[in-house]
Order: sequence, then structure tokens, then C-alpha cells
Amino acid sequence: MSDQLKDKHQRRERRTVKVPSDGSHGVRVKEATIRKNTEREIIVSSMDELGHHDENTRMVVTMENTYQTAPHKRFPVPAVTHILKDVLSSYLQQEKYEVEWSQKMTKTICEVIRARVKDLMIPRYKIVVLVHIGQQAGQSMQMSSRCLWDATTDSFACYSFTNSSLFGVATVYGVYFE
Amino acid sequence: MDEYHNGNEGSFNSEEADNIVKECIENVVGGEDYSQSQVNKWTASIVERCLTQLVKQGKPYKFIVTCAVMQKTGAGLHTANSCYWDTSMDGSSTVRWENRTMYCVVSVFAVAIA
Repeated sequence: MSDQLKDKHQRRERRTVKVPSDGSHGVRVKEATIRKNTEREIIVSSMDELGHHDENTRMVVTMENTYQTAPHKRFPVPAVTHILKDVLSSYLQQEKYEVEWSQKMTKTICEVIRARVKDLMIPRYKIVVLVHIGQQAGQSMQMSSRCLWDATTDSFACYSFTNSSLFGVATVYGVYFE
Repeated sequence: MDEYHNGNEGSFNSEEADNIVKECIENVVGGEDYSQSQVNKWTASIVERCLTQLVKQGKPYKFIVTCAVMQKTGAGLHTANSCYWDTSMDGSSTVRWENRTMYCVVSVFAVAIA
């Protein structure tokens, strides 16, 4: 609706711009009154424009109003867990922990998981992927996370993989963009 | 015009989040040694405190806070994260903390609403 209003203002502005050029050819008296009207119109439209301008810049940056209150398709936890299992097993199955390799592998796995979750094409969901790879050295470790979100629309999936020399944990959080 | 727009909501302030998180970690495990029986309580407490402090900022964000506490035995640990979001409004911050007997890595992800 505000788009229509903006169009109206643009049209009005266009008219005001045209009239002076036409007015220069016309009668003088008329020209004066026309000019007055156009000036007034310009002022009015520019004032409105100021009011709308901020909204318009905001609308350009943020998403348009879709009148959608809930996601059509929710975050598919089982499908994502399956992806995590797949990726972690295939990359880490027979590997030994090495510093350089693990560093690269953590980043690679992260990118791969993100690409595959994006391929699921879940609209309006933002994705956060976390991957930890560590050496198995008899140490103890605890990981926990808390989230402040809308429990009806947002969710997470996680999977952990271990072999004799290393362990890998992958977590994916899906957050709905309202 | 861009400055005006950003000044209103702003992107996620990761320095402020860093400070909040560091403070929370210090308060919970400041002078402690790694203890298997207590570590569960510690991670839960760190995460909850961070979350409540972040929420107090009053910004329109959803938060995800993750904490990993690991005993120091010379073992290596690598962490990576990859995010699909709006880079102008969303952000994250990771804090690494250690003492004599353990490592603590806390990550905060802030996802903007609307």
C-alpha cells in the first residue's frame, strides 16, 4: 500500500516538474498561479516524502511484508541429523588426529554441512553450523548450549562421531526469520 | 542515510558481548580446577548467565549460546562455525578462556528478528 502511495508522490512530483516547463510557454497570469500551486504541491509532497523516506529505506533493506505468521515448512530435524551423520562419517571414518589436517577439516566440514543444509531449501530459516574436532586423549569434556528463541519455529540438530584417535561433534541451529 | 539507519538498530555489537561473556566465565569458574562432577553445573550456569545478561540489552535478537569446557591434558581441539544469515544485522562472538586445569570456549550467535 505504501508502495502505491510512493508511486502517487512520484507521479505528483513528475507532474509538478513538468508544469513549469509547460507553463513557460503559456499565459503569464496562469503561469503565476500554476507556479504557486506547484510550489505548494512540491512542499506537500516533499513533507510526505520525508515521512515515508525512512520507511522506504527500511523497506528496501528488510524483507517485504508477507502477512505470514508462521513458517510453511519447519526445520526438518531428522533430515539435518542424517546430513550430519553422513558428512561426519564420510570425512572422519578412518582418519587419525593431526593438527594441520584437523584444522582444515573442521572448516571444510563446516562449509560442506552448511551447503547441504542450504540445499534443503527451507525458506526464511537462518542457519548456524558448529563443528568441533578433538583428539581422544583420555580427557573429559562437556559441551552445553542454551538458546533464546521461539520454540515453536526454531530448532537444532546435532550428531557426534568418535573413533579411536579423534572425536567430532556437529551442531546445526535453524532460526526462523520473522 | 545509511548511518542513520544503522544507528537505530545497529548490527550486533560483538565487543560488548565479549565483555559480558568474559565476566560470566570468571564468575562461574574463576578460581576452580577441573572437576568431573561439577562441570555439568558449570557449563549450564555459564550459558544461562550469558543468556540473561545478553537479553538485558533489550535488543530484538534471538540468541544461541554454546559453551565447551575441556580438561587440560595436552589434547588438541578445533572448532569452526559457518552461518547462513544476514551479515548486516546478525553477528557472533567467540571467547576462549583458560586456567591451569581447563579450557573454556564460549560462542554467542545473535540472529536478528525482522
